[in-house]
Amino acid sequence: MAEHHTVTDGKHKASPNAGGSLHGNSRPNVASGGGGKGGLSGGLAQPAGWQSLLSFTILFLAWLAGFSSRLFAVIRFESIIHEFDPWFNYRSTHHLTTNGFYEFLNWFDERSWYPLGRIVGGTVYPGLMVTAGLIHYVLNLLHLTVHIRDVCVFLAPVFSGLTSISTFLLTRELWNQGAGLLAACFIAIVPGYISRSVAGSFDNEGIAIFALQFTYYLWVKSIKTGSVFWSIGCCLSYFYMVSAWGGYVFIINLIPLHVFVLLLMQRYSRRVYIAYSTFYIVGLVLSMQIPFVGFQPIRTSEHMAAAGVFALLQAYAFLQYLKNRLTKQEFQTLFFLGVALAAGVVFLTVIYLTYTGELWTVSYAKIHIPIIASVSEHQPTTWVSFFFDLHILVCTFPAGLWFCIKNVNDERVFVALYAISAVYFAGVMVRLMLTLTPVVCMLSAIAFSSVFEHYLGDDMKRENPPVEDSSDEDDKRNSGNLYDKAGKVRKHVSEQEKAEEGLGPNIKSIVTMLMLMLLMMFAVHCTWVTSNAYSSPSVVLASYNHDGTRNILDDFREAYYWLRQNTDEHARVMSWWDYGYQIAGMANRTTLVDNNTWNNSHIALVGKAMSSNESAAYEIMRSLDVDYVLIIFGGVIGYSGDDINKFLWMVRIAEGEHPKDIRESDYFTPQGEFRVDKAGSPVLLSCLMYKMSYYRFGEMQLDFRTPPGFDRTRNAEIGNKDIKFKHLEEAFTSEHWLVRIYKVKKLDNREPLDHKLRSIVPRPKYTSKKV
Amino acid sequence: MMAGNKLSVKLPTFLLLITGLCYQVAADDGLVNEEVKRTVDLSTHLAKITAEILLSNQGDSAVHSFILAVESDLAPHLAYIGASVKGDEEEDGMLELKQTAIQGQSGEFYKVQLPSSLGAGAKLRVKVETVFSHVLRPFPTHITQAERQLVVFQGNHYLFSPYPTRSQTTRVRLASKTVETYTKLGNPSKSDDAIEYGPFRDVAPFSEDTMKVHYENNTPFLTISSITRTIEVSHWGNIAVEETIDLRHTGAFLKGPFSRYDYQRQSDSGISSVKSFKTILPASAQDVYYRDEIGNISTSHLQVLEDSVEVEVRPRFPLFGGWKTHYIIGYNLPSYEYLYTLGDQYALKMRLVDHVYDDQVIDSLTVKLILPEGARNIHVETPYPIDRVPDQLHYTYLDTFGRPVLVASKTNLVEQHIQDIVVHYTFNKILMLQEPLLVVGAFYILFFTVIIYVRLDFSITKDPAAEVRMKVASITEQVLTLVNKRLGLYRHMDEVVNRYKQSRDAGALNSGRKTLEADHRTLTNDISSLQARLKAEGSDLADKVGEVQKLDGQVKKEAYIENEKNLASKRLDLVTRIDSLLDTL
Repeated sequence: MAEHHTVTDGKHKASPNAGGSLHGNSRPNVASGGGGKGGLSGGLAQPAGWQSLLSFTILFLAWLAGFSSRLFAVIRFESIIHEFDPWFNYRSTHHLTTNGFYEFLNWFDERSWYPLGRIVGGTVYPGLMVTAGLIHYVLNLLHLTVHIRDVCVFLAPVFSGLTSISTFLLTRELWNQGAGLLAACFIAIVPGYISRSVAGSFDNEGIAIFALQFTYYLWVKSIKTGSVFWSIGCCLSYFYMVSAWGGYVFIINLIPLHVFVLLLMQRYSRRVYIAYSTFYIVGLVLSMQIPFVGFQPIRTSEHMAAAGVFALLQAYAFLQYLKNRLTKQEFQTLFFLGVALAAGVVFLTVIYLTYTGELWTVSYAKIHIPIIASVSEHQPTTWVSFFFDLHILVCTFPAGLWFCIKNVNDERVFVALYAISAVYFAGVMVRLMLTLTPVVCMLSAIAFSSVFEHYLGDDMKRENPPVEDSSDEDDKRNSGNLYDKAGKVRKHVSEQEKAEEGLGPNIKSIVTMLMLMLLMMFAVHCTWVTSNAYSSPSVVLASYNHDGTRNILDDFREAYYWLRQNTDEHARVMSWWDYGYQIAGMANRTTLVDNNTWNNSHIALVGKAMSSNESAAYEIMRSLDVDYVLIIFGGVIGYSGDDINKFLWMVRIAEGEHPKDIRESDYFTPQGEFRVDKAGSPVLLSCLMYKMSYYRFGEMQLDFRTPPGFDRTRNAEIGNKDIKFKHLEEAFTSEHWLVRIYKVKKLDNREPLDHKLRSIVPRPKYTSKKV
Repeated sequence: MMAGNKLSVKLPTFLLLITGLCYQVAADDGLVNEEVKRTVDLSTHLAKITAEILLSNQGDSAVHSFILAVESDLAPHLAYIGASVKGDEEEDGMLELKQTAIQGQSGEFYKVQLPSSLGAGAKLRVKVETVFSHVLRPFPTHITQAERQLVVFQGNHYLFSPYPTRSQTTRVRLASKTVETYTKLGNPSKSDDAIEYGPFRDVAPFSEDTMKVHYENNTPFLTISSITRTIEVSHWGNIAVEETIDLRHTGAFLKGPFSRYDYQRQSDSGISSVKSFKTILPASAQDVYYRDEIGNISTSHLQVLEDSVEVEVRPRFPLFGGWKTHYIIGYNLPSYEYLYTLGDQYALKMRLVDHVYDDQVIDSLTVKLILPEGARNIHVETPYPIDRVPDQLHYTYLDTFGRPVLVASKTNLVEQHIQDIVVHYTFNKILMLQEPLLVVGAFYILFFTVIIYVRLDFSITKDPAAEVRMKVASITEQVLTLVNKRLGLYRHMDEVVNRYKQSRDAGALNSGRKTLEADHRTLTNDISSLQARLKAEGSDLADKVGEVQKLDGQVKKEAYIENEKNLASKRLDLVTRIDSLLDTL
C-alpha cells in the first residue's frame, strides 16, 4: 500500500501545481466555450478544497491499509485474543462489561495468586478496558449486538488508524502537510508498531501509542500557540495515556526535557511558560486519579524531572520579571544566589535518589531479579531487529533529524529530543522499540518529503514561484502572532531552489524512481514481516504439510477447555507463570502465579516445586492446596517454547529465594551442560518438571529412525524412561502432548508402608480385658 | 372405564395372578392381545421397545379406543410413545394418543383412538413404539480407561397391558456378544447378540416380571443435558439457527488416569469414549460455525451432501465417562424454504428440534423463535405438547421496539421428536422500509451536522486576520466570475464582427457593439468597485486586479479594427497574460 500512498502523495505534492495548470487550461476553454463553467471550476480549483479532499482520502486509505494489514491472524485463524497478557485484559474487560465500572475498580480477583488474590482494580491501567467497554456499551446502546470479544480483537487495528491521524497532525505541525501524510502512511504499516497492534493483540500498547502521539501533537500545538485551551487538551490526552500504559513516564520526562532544553537555548517565551505550567499542574492532578498510579507522581524519581523543570521555569519566569524591575547589579547578585540555591537542591535530590536506589529502575531490576531478565522482551535490541522492524526508515530518519536540526524551531527541538531519547530506550530494551517507531516514521517522512519537494514538483515552481503549501500559509498567518517559523522556512525553500537550478530532469527522475523503489520495498517488507512474524495468535499453532495443506495444532485450547469443563470449579492449577493469564482466561480456574509477576517469592515457590523431587514437591503443593499441575511439553512436535527449555529460569528464580534447597549447578552436568539424556545430572532427571514432561514418553516411538523416547525439541533420547508417580496421576494430555495436566492426589487414608511388615514374634496370648 | 376394577395390588409386585378378576377387566371392553411380538432394542444407549400387537375384540360391542400402559418403573424415563396401525398395504397410520389414568394401577396409561371402530370379533394389528432414555445403568459405575463398559437393563419380560395376552415373544437385541448375566425365565435362547424369550402363553393383564440383562455396551452414552435452539427469522431472506449445546458422557465414569499414550497406541483403549459424532444439518445450511467460549473448535469437518450438510463434530477432547463439554453450532438457511407468505400472513415451518447425533437424547430443550420486528397475531402449532414461557423481546441490529421472541421448553426428547413446528403471524410489509430509512436518517443527520459545523463559526474569539482573508477570497472569486463574463463578451464580439464581415450590415454591428460595450462597461465598473473593496481590505491583490483592468483596456481599444489576425494573436497573448495573473490570485 505504501507505494500507492506515496504515489498519491507525490500527486498531492504536485497538486497545487496541477491546480494551477488547470486554471491555465480552463481559462481559454471558458474564453471559447461558455461562461457558466467558470464558477464551478473556480470552486473546485480552490487549492484548499483539493488539498483537504486529498488529505482526507489519503488518511482514510492509510487507516484502511493499516487496519487490513493487521487482519492476517483473523483471516488465517479466527477472531481470537492472542498470547498471554491480552487474555488478562480480555478477562478484565469482560468483568467490566458484565459487572459495571465500579465493580471493576473494586475487583478483588480471588482466582489468581492463590491464596493471596489480587486487587485488580488497583493494579491495572484501566484505560484499555474502559475504552473497549465503552465502545461495547455504545454499540449495544445502538442495538449493534457485537460481542465484547470482537470489540477487543479489533480495538488495536482501529486505534492504529487514529494513531496515523495523530501522527499526521503532529508531523504537519513539525514540517508540512505532505510530510504529515507520508508519516501517516508509514506509521500505518510499519512493523515496529504492527507487532503490538495486530487484531487480537488486545494490549495496552495498542491504544497507548495513539495517546502518546496525540499528547505530543497537543503539546506541540500548545507550545506553538501558548494557549491554555491546547494545554488543557494536552493534559486530557495525557490523562488518557496515564490510564492506558505505564509508558506515560516517557511523556512526563520528555516534555520537561523539551522545556528545559528550550530554556537552555534561550528560547524561553510566554508561550512555553503558559503551556508547561498548565500541563504540569493539571496533568499531575489528573494522573493521580488513576488508582494504580496514585501518589507516584509526587513520590518516585521518574516524575521528579517534571517537578524540577516546573520549579526552574517558575524561577526563570520570576527572574525575567525581576529583570524588568531591578538594576543590573541587583539582578546579578540575585541571579547567582538563586542559581547556587537551585543547584544545591538538585544535587541533594539526586544524591538522595541514588542512595535509595530508585533511579535507573530497569537496570537495577535486571541485575537483581532474574524474573525480569527472564522475559525475552526485556533483552537489549539487536541491530537486526531495528532493520526488521523499521526497514528503510531506520536509514532515512537521521536525515529527517538533520533537516529538523538545520531549520530548528521550538517544536523541532522537541522532535529531536524525542528521537534521541527514543533511540536510547529502544537500544536498552526490545520492547521500547515501540516508542521509537512513531518518531522514526515522522522523521523519515520529513526526509522523504523534502527530497520529493526537491525532485518532483519544481517545473511549475519556476514558472510561478510563490506556490505555497497550506502549512506555509499557516506560518504566514502565524507570523503576525507570536510565531517565528515562517521566515526561516521561506529562506529554506529559496535555498533549495538555488541548488536545484543545476539539476537536469534525468537526474531528477532517476532519484525520484529510486525513492519510489525504496518505498515500494518498504511496503513489501512491511507486509511480509506482518504476515510472517507478527500474525500468529500463539494460542493456536499451525503446521504445513508438503502439499501446502495446513494442520492446526489446537492443544492449548484443548487442554484449557478440558480444565474448564471437567474439573471442579474451584480447582487450583499450578503452572509456570507464563500460562497464568491463559488459564484464568480460557480455563476459568484458580491459578497460583500469573504474568502479573508482582510476588517474586510466590513464583519462586512454584519454581521450587517444579525443580524439586516428587516428595519434596508434594509437600509444597499440599501446602499450596494444588489440585492440578499444568505443564507445556514440546518434545513430541518439536515446540521450542516449552517448560523444559524455560526450566533453568525456574531453577534460577527458585534459587534466588531458596538458595539452600535449590542450586542451579545441580542441574548441569559436571561439564556445565544442560542436557536431558542419560548424561544429564541426576537431580534434573528426578525433578518434578522432568518427570511430568517425560512421563510415559520413554515408551513412545515417534518414527522409525529414532529410538523410543526421542525428544524432538532437544534432539536427544531422554535419560530417564522409567518414570513412576507416587503422589500425582496423569489427568489429561492433549493430542500432540503439548499440554500435560497432572492431578495431585489427596493424602491416602492410611499411609502405605514402604517396607515389609516386621515379622513380630507372637507374644503369649495376653489380651487386655479392659477393651 | 377401569374405575370398577377392584384391584389394589401395588406395583411393582412381581406377579399378578388373580386371573379371575383380570378376565373380568378384560371382559369390560372385551379386548384381548391375541399375539404380541416384542422387541427390546438395547444396542444403543436407549431402550427402544417395539411391540406388534394383534388386538382382537372379543366383546359384544364395537370398540373405538384401546389403552397402552407403561410400567411405573420405566414410566419416568419414557421419552416417546407412539402407536400405528399396521395395515396390509404397509402404510402405517399414526394414531392419536391421550394420557389417562387408571385408578388403582400405577404406571402411565395412554388411550389410543382407533381410526375406525373395531367391531365385535374383529382383529387389528397395531405397532407400539416406546423409547426410554437413561434406563441402561452402567455397572460397574466407574471403570478405568482400559476397561469395557458394562450396563444393566431392568425391564419386564411381558408386555405390560391392561388386556390379557394369549401368546407373546420377547426378543432382546444387545450391543455385543458379551453378556454377563440375564434372567432365564422360560429358558430363553441366546444367539450372537440377541436373547429370545417366550413364547409365553396366557399372560394376565398388568403382569410384570423383572427382566434383567447385564451386558457390554460400548456405544456412545452421549446425552445433551441442555440445548438452546435459537431461530432468528429475517424477512430479508435469511433464517439464522444457533444451537448451544451442553453435552455429557453419561456412561460409566472414568476411574484413575487418562493416558494419552494408551489412547493413541491401543485401539481398544477408552473404547466407550466419544471421539466424534455426526450432526446432519439441512441441505441448504450455509456459513456453518462450530465454536465455544474460547473460539473456534478447529477439529471439525464439514461435508456438503446432496440432501444434507454433514458436520463431523469433534469436541476439543475425547469424552470419557462423566466428562462434559459445551459448544455452539450455528448456520444460516434461506428463508424461502421455510417461510410461506400470503399477503400480510406469514407461516414459518421449521423443525422444532434438529438432529445432533444418531439416537440422541435431550434432557432439556429450550427453543427461542425470534420473529421479525412488528410481527403480530402470533399463533403456534406444535406437533406435541410443549411448555410455553411468556414471550420476550429481543433487540438486535436496527431494532427500535424489539422483536417478539417465542420461548418454549420441553424435557426428555429423542430422535422421534424431530418434527415441524408451524408459526403463523401477520406482518405489515411497510415495516420492511423501517430499517433502511433508519440508516438513511442516521447518515442524513451525520452529514447535516458536518455541513452545519463546517459552515458556521463556533469560535468564541474573533480572528481579524482570518476574517479579512476570507473576505478577500470571496471578493476575488467574484472578480474571477466577472472577468470570465467579460471574456465571454469578447467572444460574443468576435461573433458579431464575423457576422458583420459576412453581411456587411453596419447597423447590426453598431447595435451589437453598443449593447456589448454597455455590458462591458458595467462589468468593468463592477470589477473596479470590487478592486476598491479589495484595496480597502488592504490586500495586495487589488494591484493585480488593476493590472487586469489595464490589460483589458488595451484589448478593447484594438477590438474590431482592421487587422484581425494580428488582433487575434495579440488578444490571445493578452488573455494568457491575464490568465497567468489570475492564477496568482
